[in-house]
Amino acid sequence: MNKVSNIVRPFARPLVLVGGVLLIVAALLPWATFVLNEGPYPDKATLQFFDAPFAVTGFRFHLLLLGLLVLIASFAPVPSRARVLRALGWGGLLVSVISGLFITIEGGGLGAITAADGATAFGALVGLVGGAAVILGAIALGVEPPAHWTLKLPTAAAYAVLVVVFVLVLLGVSLVLTAGGQGGAANPYAGPLFLAFLGFAAGAMAALSATGAIRFVSELSEKHRIFSVVVLLLCALLLPFTDAGSEYWMTVAANIGIYAATAIGLNIVVGLAGLLDLGYVAFMGIGALVAANFSGAAAAAFGVHLPFPVAAVIAAVVAGIFGAIVGSPTLRVRGDYLAIVTLAFGEIFTRSAQNNIGGLTNGANAIPGIPALSLFGADFNKSFTLGSIKLPAGVLYYVLIVLLVALVMTVFANLKFSRIGRAWIAIREDEDAARAMGIRTGQAKILAFLVGAMLAGLAGAVFAHKNGTVSYESFKFLESVTLLAAVILGGMGSIPGAVLGASLLFVLPEKLREFSEYRLLIFGLALVLIMRFRPQGLVPDRHRRAELADEDVGGAPVDEVHEVPGAVKEAKA
Amino acid sequence: MSILLQQLANGVVQGGLIALIALGYTMVYGIIQLINFAHGEIFMVGAYGSLATYTWLLPQGIKDSWVLSLPLMLLGGVVVAVVIALIMERFAYRPLRNAPRLAPLITALGISVALQEAVRTFYPDATSALRFPRVFAEGNLALGPISVPWSGVLIIVVSIVLSVLLQVYINRSRMGRAMRATAQDPDTAKLMGVNPDRVIVLTFVLGAALAGVAGLLYGSYITNVNIDMGFQTGIFAFTAAVLGGVGSIRGAVIGAFIIGLVKTIGGQYMPGGTQYDYVWIFVVLILVLVFRPQGLFGEPERVRA
Repeated sequence: MNKVSNIVRPFARPLVLVGGVLLIVAALLPWATFVLNEGPYPDKATLQFFDAPFAVTGFRFHLLLLGLLVLIASFAPVPSRARVLRALGWGGLLVSVISGLFITIEGGGLGAITAADGATAFGALVGLVGGAAVILGAIALGVEPPAHWTLKLPTAAAYAVLVVVFVLVLLGVSLVLTAGGQGGAANPYAGPLFLAFLGFAAGAMAALSATGAIRFVSELSEKHRIFSVVVLLLCALLLPFTDAGSEYWMTVAANIGIYAATAIGLNIVVGLAGLLDLGYVAFMGIGALVAANFSGAAAAAFGVHLPFPVAAVIAAVVAGIFGAIVGSPTLRVRGDYLAIVTLAFGEIFTRSAQNNIGGLTNGANAIPGIPALSLFGADFNKSFTLGSIKLPAGVLYYVLIVLLVALVMTVFANLKFSRIGRAWIAIREDEDAARAMGIRTGQAKILAFLVGAMLAGLAGAVFAHKNGTVSYESFKFLESVTLLAAVILGGMGSIPGAVLGASLLFVLPEKLREFSEYRLLIFGLALVLIMRFRPQGLVPDRHRRAELADEDVGGAPVDEVHEVPGAVKEAKA
Repeated sequence: MSILLQQLANGVVQGGLIALIALGYTMVYGIIQLINFAHGEIFMVGAYGSLATYTWLLPQGIKDSWVLSLPLMLLGGVVVAVVIALIMERFAYRPLRNAPRLAPLITALGISVALQEAVRTFYPDATSALRFPRVFAEGNLALGPISVPWSGVLIIVVSIVLSVLLQVYINRSRMGRAMRATAQDPDTAKLMGVNPDRVIVLTFVLGAALAGVAGLLYGSYITNVNIDMGFQTGIFAFTAAVLGGVGSIRGAVIGAFIIGLVKTIGGQYMPGGTQYDYVWIFVVLILVLVFRPQGLFGEPERVRA
């Protein structure tokens, strides 16, 4: 790469400009030489030329945006310009590759994206070349670390910025959820459209992060934590009023929420205390089974129907007790041996549940017919009318789960910055040193398992009522691995990371129904690739010394590279 | 009494199978301190490799005579297992060699899932269990009240012979000495002229070859193969390796026979029957890790970062 960039260096700027123009041209060119079965892909806009840029729609619109942004970024005074350009280039490349690949596969060969039957369609190839040119040019310009803003805002202005940003986040979430539409046989385009949108979003977000804007906002929100939490919560509660406010998307969002809450719980064990848990989903299963057995369902082992809050508390406590039991070997077992012990406990749970241990799990028949929750006579699985607005079914579950996630986040954040949280982090970094500093490591580790398991049990209780059926099938080893992958993909120890990771891992299967055959294969390979190329996750925790990303290529720990500008300033002052 | 003897015999057969896989775990762990979670999947891939050899490569004339078909299937299974293991080592584990411990473990989980799914997706009809041909002498060896299928006898003999050979190779040969040196202290071994990459590759190759052998033997004993077999048997084998003391060849083999016996005896006499035999193995695993983490024959665990 260095050799290439040395050759390219003199032409770096022209290369970027040409790349940007190519991206715009690609957006205007036709993309497919044929008509797909269910009509042109997508928005009936792949066959024709565009002479009016504003008429471009769909993924070609995203490409147009990226091209324009490249041109703007190469002339406007943008901080960390080369890094921004590189991110935008990657976005363009991803959109072109994903859309081009899909059209090629659907059209049966390269003719689909070049020339066939007298029609020409070079959009994908031009976009590919444009994206690559921008990336190459940006690298040759010399990629510098992301900028760091030292701008100080008065409180009122900071509040205004935060409100605007969070509303944008809300709209973004709604856009991501609905992008490409509902997956499944009826809509074979959902997968590729969604992936192309993700490519665009990833490029745009990386570019924003390169300008330092994301870091600025996250620091701002950290400074005004209570305000941001309240606004973020309000924004989350407003999601049903956006485009995503249909029954289907509310159900998907609620499922994501349950897994996000569980992932945050797992993050306590893995991310904070550094104890790898490969059987974590069993605690969620225990919580779900407890709630199911106290729900008054016909197959429940106990004939009593406890009110949901009571059942949820019992579920959390029982799961917590099991957590402490599973955690007790940590007193003697360390590292990957511990991972195996947790795996063994997880398998014991699955086996016992499968065999209907003590008549509590109903084995392979599961416990069906768990009644939906209701509050003041409003059933949670029915639609709900607020004033004159009729909200879709499932909205109340969504609200409940948003509150659950908020609760779990609060617990996590408070623990992280508390005495016990610091003890966990110390144990993660060096257990012997932590012990020498007077931390009772045994207690702290068991407490990590206990708290993590309680949160999972709570999430499991909600899961039981929301789904109406509890089967051991939902709590197998693969689920544990998926949760772990969510935590790692997002970035260990980071709350936004866990939510992002859980969302990606549970939205993608919804969108990629068409490719469900390959889902797990891709999942496995993705795990390998993440560990290889971005082990610190998508949103690494800034407070954490990158345990997984030991050292950057230059030899400095990854996080410190990012800290440099600020640190220099302080030293001068 | 005869039930007990029969279950003991079954346990020894299962133990032999587990031993062949456990050797791969214990060698890799001994050298690079990696729990190669995907090793169970290498075993599974080996079984499918020999099945594929039988189904598509062997002509009918050879299929009819097990004396010819068995070695050829063995070759097919071992080659497939070794090739997959080499790819895995080169592209997934080697880049992570100096990464923190969590990274390769999670990579191994990913490979495990990916290999299972690759076979499920791309091997014809692999979504359900596939019948494995009878490629070894039919019938049973009858010894008083117990009877063991000839394929079971083969498992016991092969596993003991191969583990003795492996032990001799590691203790006597030049490469074996290099392996022991690398396991003890990679840096010093390097200074003494040992090429760690070659040693590690050899370790993976040996482990995968044994797993490939185990795959064929499993197929001919159980008479069907499915894609879950690697995960299950892999965990048993890992338990055996831990029980014997990770890094010890002798320990892995003895541990494997103990696990095999726990499985059959536990399934026979413990409450819950065979449905819970799995659970007893995990109970043994947890108890060993908690009370004797260095295993039966392992050295006390060095303090690890």
